[in-house]
Amino acid sequence: MFPPASARQDADAPIRATDSDASLARLSAVKKGYLTDPFIAHFVPRAQSQPSRPPLINIGTTIRSESIDDLVESWMKLCILEGLKCQIVSLGAGSDTRFWRIATGSHKDLVVKYIEADFAEVTAKKAMTVKKSSTLMASLGDPSTVIIGGGGTTLSSPVYNLLPADLRKPPAEGMQAVIELLDKDVPTLLLFECVLAYISPELSSALIKHFASYFRDSAPLAGIVYEMFGLEDSFGRVMKNNLKARHVDLQGVAPYNTKASLPQRFLSLEFTMAKALTLFEIRRQYLSEEKSKSMSQVEMLDEVEELDLVLSHYAITWGIKIPEGEKFKSYREAHSPWMNWELHTIGSSKSESIDSA
Amino acid sequence: MPSDLDNQIAQLLRCEPISEAQVKQLCLKAREILIEEGNVQVVDAPVTLCGDIHGQFWDMMELFKLGGFCPDTNYLFMGDFVDRGYYSVETFLLLLAYKVRYPDRITLIRGNHESRQITQVYGFYDECQRKYGSANVWRYCCEVFDYLALAAIVDGRVFCVHGGLSPNLSAIDQIRVIDRKQEVPHDGPMCDLLWSDPDDIQGWGLSPRGAGFLFGGDITKSFAHNNAIDLIARAHQLAMEGFKLMFDQSLVTVWSAPNYCYRCGNVASILELDEHLGQEYKVFRHAPSDVRSVPAKRPPAEYFL
Repeated sequence: MFPPASARQDADAPIRATDSDASLARLSAVKKGYLTDPFIAHFVPRAQSQPSRPPLINIGTTIRSESIDDLVESWMKLCILEGLKCQIVSLGAGSDTRFWRIATGSHKDLVVKYIEADFAEVTAKKAMTVKKSSTLMASLGDPSTVIIGGGGTTLSSPVYNLLPADLRKPPAEGMQAVIELLDKDVPTLLLFECVLAYISPELSSALIKHFASYFRDSAPLAGIVYEMFGLEDSFGRVMKNNLKARHVDLQGVAPYNTKASLPQRFLSLEFTMAKALTLFEIRRQYLSEEKSKSMSQVEMLDEVEELDLVLSHYAITWGIKIPEGEKFKSYREAHSPWMNWELHTIGSSKSESIDSA
Repeated sequence: MPSDLDNQIAQLLRCEPISEAQVKQLCLKAREILIEEGNVQVVDAPVTLCGDIHGQFWDMMELFKLGGFCPDTNYLFMGDFVDRGYYSVETFLLLLAYKVRYPDRITLIRGNHESRQITQVYGFYDECQRKYGSANVWRYCCEVFDYLALAAIVDGRVFCVHGGLSPNLSAIDQIRVIDRKQEVPHDGPMCDLLWSDPDDIQGWGLSPRGAGFLFGGDITKSFAHNNAIDLIARAHQLAMEGFKLMFDQSLVTVWSAPNYCYRCGNVASILELDEHLGQEYKVFRHAPSDVRSVPAKRPPAEYFL
């Protein structure tokens, strides 16, 4: 017999359900040809028969995905330039396929640890999916090093590690298992894709601060946050109400009412640099002509105004905390690549240019 | 004694779909009426202009409460009756029933969503399947779409169209010779009338929608001058304040779907033209949720989560 689910777990079901929104949207964008991702279909039940999402969702998903991909890629290249390895920690990772996309790409040897944490219900499902798939297992190394534990909720392998974690617990407790896996001296990137919006601003600050103090003197710590913001207007009020009807509370969004407020998430925690771009800006200014054209040819978009309205309420914020001290002095200089971590034009050859540098 | 049609109108006003056989009959009668209308339907003021409705039935009831019900008020709906909202079937069939019952008190012109292709992407096809168990009702409605007028002109002075102008059409008379009884083409003048948008540019521009064009104030003013009209009234674009005047008041966008897609948080409007073509914009909000503006078992509003 299964023990009855606790009230706490039931209350989290609506937040967990947002993961299936995200993976269905990603699958739809892939099936339509907006995005390439050979792995997402493994994580969606009955992937072949899932209906497509509306064009607006496909387009937004594509812009979100390509932008974060570019920022992760250019951050990895910062590490390459210094001759360093890197670690990536994805909190609230859900069904994200990024690890497999990196593991089958040109930077596969760069990442020494890739950690994903989420609700135990999510990690249990994902661990099972990975274990059952020869395609997904192939990226994890020697099968004898891949261990399922924690009653099926954890999966550990030399690089990839999947752990249950409750982001709302005090980080010293909730993040202990994650921190234990990380090498203090290796640059580390934290990914938060639609995660912090669901927890209180105090908790999300405490969470980032916890990692910042772990890496304080030893290695650069970077973060990328993707989520909605600016919800004090009529569109935002409707969004909050609509999501409230799904029992999803966007408590983490309150401090971020303008684009200018977004980098403060990092700067207020003594990060060395931070920037933000809205998806609206990215669509207007960061898509190559080829990419814009190819996206507009996939399917007819009936409402540009609505798309603009929705995209102007989502943003990507990124920042780096470079340790004090002589060893990292050059990193902190105004012209250093670390201080100029930027989004590149999406869908052009330009973003590949660092490879040859 | 009320006729069958009056009973159907009463039923549709309660947001209850009529039977498939009734839809078939209604669509046949509607086609007989619409086939007699010109591509540019001539309308007399006073008339109330309405923009996109998009299946938001209960919000359309708010519109009628504000503007008066048919036939007390003379209406001109500028297309996009279907798709997106939860009640495209009831919305379009009510408008069509009004058209058949009071042909001189309501004018319906075609929007870019009154198309087989677009309705299969944006919801009307699925809604017909869901509510009738087959695509027959969708097919009957699409046949009616092909007969809808492409534009209207009020007292010879106000040109009404769903989208906007076309580089292939400098005179309103050129619209009159289009063979409109077809699916909306992917390009050409008929497509442009239903898809184009005004923009703060000079001349013509490429549309980000992938169909139609962008047209500037200069194009608008010379079209108005050449055709001796005072105003171009159109719909097609979400206006957060319900309407948007452009180009020294020579063009207006009227938007009649409040809180569009149950997501956008906008207000809506109708434009009342009095007998002297004086303009009064009446703004309205979405129906309170307690009158079932969204069904209890609705699909969730779409966001990136």
